[in-house]
Amino acid sequence: MRERARIVTRWGMVIDLDRCTGCVACEVACKSENNIATVPPDQAAMGRAKSWMKVVAEVEGEFPDTSLHFYPRPCMQCDNPPCVKVCPVAATYINDEGTVAQIYARCIGCRYCANACPYTVKYFNWYGPEWADSERQHLNPDVSVRPKGVIEKCTFCHHRLQQAREDARAEGRVLREEDYQPACQEACPTAAIVFGDLENSTHRVRQLKDDPRSMRLMEDLGTAPKVYYLRPRE
Amino acid sequence: MSSRLALSRGFSTVLTWLSPRRRLVWLLGVAVLVVATATVLRAARQAPVSQPIAFNHLIHTRDLELGCEFCHKYVRSGAHSGLPDAENCSLCHRVQLGTSEEAAKLTKMINDGEPLQFNKLFRLADHVFYTHRRHVGIAKLECQNCHGAIADTEQPPTRPLVQITMNLCLDCHRKRELTVDCNACHR
Ligand code: HEC
Ligand code: HEC
Ligand code: HEC
Ligand code: HEC
Ligand code: HEC
Repeated sequence: MRERARIVTRWGMVIDLDRCTGCVACEVACKSENNIATVPPDQAAMGRAKSWMKVVAEVEGEFPDTSLHFYPRPCMQCDNPPCVKVCPVAATYINDEGTVAQIYARCIGCRYCANACPYTVKYFNWYGPEWADSERQHLNPDVSVRPKGVIEKCTFCHHRLQQAREDARAEGRVLREEDYQPACQEACPTAAIVFGDLENSTHRVRQLKDDPRSMRLMEDLGTAPKVYYLRPRE
Repeated sequence: MSSRLALSRGFSTVLTWLSPRRRLVWLLGVAVLVVATATVLRAARQAPVSQPIAFNHLIHTRDLELGCEFCHKYVRSGAHSGLPDAENCSLCHRVQLGTSEEAAKLTKMINDGEPLQFNKLFRLADHVFYTHRRHVGIAKLECQNCHGAIADTEQPPTRPLVQITMNLCLDCHRKRELTVDCNACHR
């Protein structure tokens, strides 16, 4: 265990915008993986819909030379997260592996973090989750259901890491790249999403993040996101 | 909202009647009362657990030397260890064993094909990630660490013998220099 502490791990993601077709498979996979409740239409109209992974469509250029690009937008898992700075109770913090955690049991629902986040990827539970009986049977037992009054967000499918780590331990081996994949990556039909350890030179994200096409959203803010995008080629 | 405002106004008026020293005493008194009620309410919230058969751990684990895994099948391999069903007991209890009423009742249940379902006693909130595989299968910890002397009970306990709290987990993890990262246990 002490050995592990010495190895620096920083989980990160690279999304190739050239490969993304905007099919929203990642969005759907994320919702079902993480028990994300749907909200009624009138609430959604007030901007209270939850979608930890959201495919944002951007029209770029001047008419008639426009192009449409899709930006799948999870939590950016910033290295310098603004949300962590404002949390009065340390319910959201950045852990040793760079993952920005949200401890629901600790959260008091003040929503400071949701307002601090420049990427608007933190979602507040205005109501307790409501599911039809048929849906309830399909809840993922590995992910807790968030109660009313707490903030929730993308965790890089942290429960998959908990499980993968235990599997590796049980089999007496180290964690491999393919052991830990978030649901969005797994669902992506064009393999636009790549996930892994940014500090590990054998992981693909390590090479891709240094690609010339690589960029991060709102880099000028200094939030240092761990989600990289590969700019579309012209 | 307005009634709450009135209440807090009233409260601060009462406070101004008292000398500063008294104020402190009163405030402390109220705080103690609130904490005490909260504790009592919390304890009362957990309803006692009842079981269909008055199972006796002591006879089965000490006298008969059955391993825990015999009845709690997944204690090494799963997150949950699982509770035994009629099939487990029917290995021996198809015929009357001893003279006790409970054993007779069990034999009748088994022979009538009635389902036997025990109720869960120890329970964690669903926002906690815990697995027996990690702690029993891999780390080979004694059950005692978390379940107290359950193996010596002669009657099914109606309340957990040990309250499994976050501190229980953290104390051991700290002592052994294991993870205390919130994210490791919470999900
Ligand atoms: C590190 C602490 C710990 C140890 C050691 C431990 N348990 Fe548990 N056990 C728990 C917790 C916590 C729960 C409640 C799990 C829940 O509700 O999610 C539990 C639940 C159970 C249950 C109820 C059914 C279930 O699976 O939820 C049984 C039976 C059980 N344990 C048996 C055992 C046996 C037998 C051993 C020893 C071989 C053992 N436990 C060792 C912590 C422990
Ligand atoms: C390996 C055989 C075996 C298995 C399996 C077994 N028992 Fe028993 N059981 C015994 C024996 C032997 C006695 C003791 C009879 C005596 O001497 O009074 C006993 C006694 C009992 C008694 C009476 C206890 C008392 O206080 O007198 C109960 C109740 C009981 N068993 C329930 C169960 C249940 C429930 C299961 C299944 C979860 C089970 N047993 C599984 C062998 C077994
Ligand atoms: C013959 C079957 C049998 C054996 C062997 C056995 N148990 Fe049990 N265990 C039961 C039954 C039946 C229950 C539920 C009734 C009760 O609580 O007594 C139970 C309940 C428990 C619980 C509480 C589970 C809950 O619902 O949270 C724990 C903890 C536990 N056993 C631990 C042990 C340990 C430790 C051993 C080994 C030393 C062991 N058991 C051996 C049958 C068995
Ligand atoms: C008596 C000591 C003890 C207690 C009590 C205990 N643990 Fe552990 N825990 C361990 C050990 C030892 C390991 C490491 C197992 C291994 O070697 O892989 C561990 C590992 C873990 C891990 C995996 C950590 C990682 O690095 O991935 C989690 C999660 C965990 N425990 C949760 C809990 C929870 C939740 C509780 C309380 C219900 C708890 N533990 C109580 C001893 C304990
Ligand atoms: C080793 C495992 C472990 C670690 C590490 C851990 N917790 Fe916990 N936590 C638990 C367990 C077990 C509970 C008790 C759940 C229950 O009552 O069923 C709990 C309960 C809580 C509760 C109370 C929830 C309630 O409804 O009463 C809060 C708040 C909490 N944890 C926050 C944290 C924070 C913040 C951290 C990091 C500083 C943390 N936890 C680290 C295991 C852990």
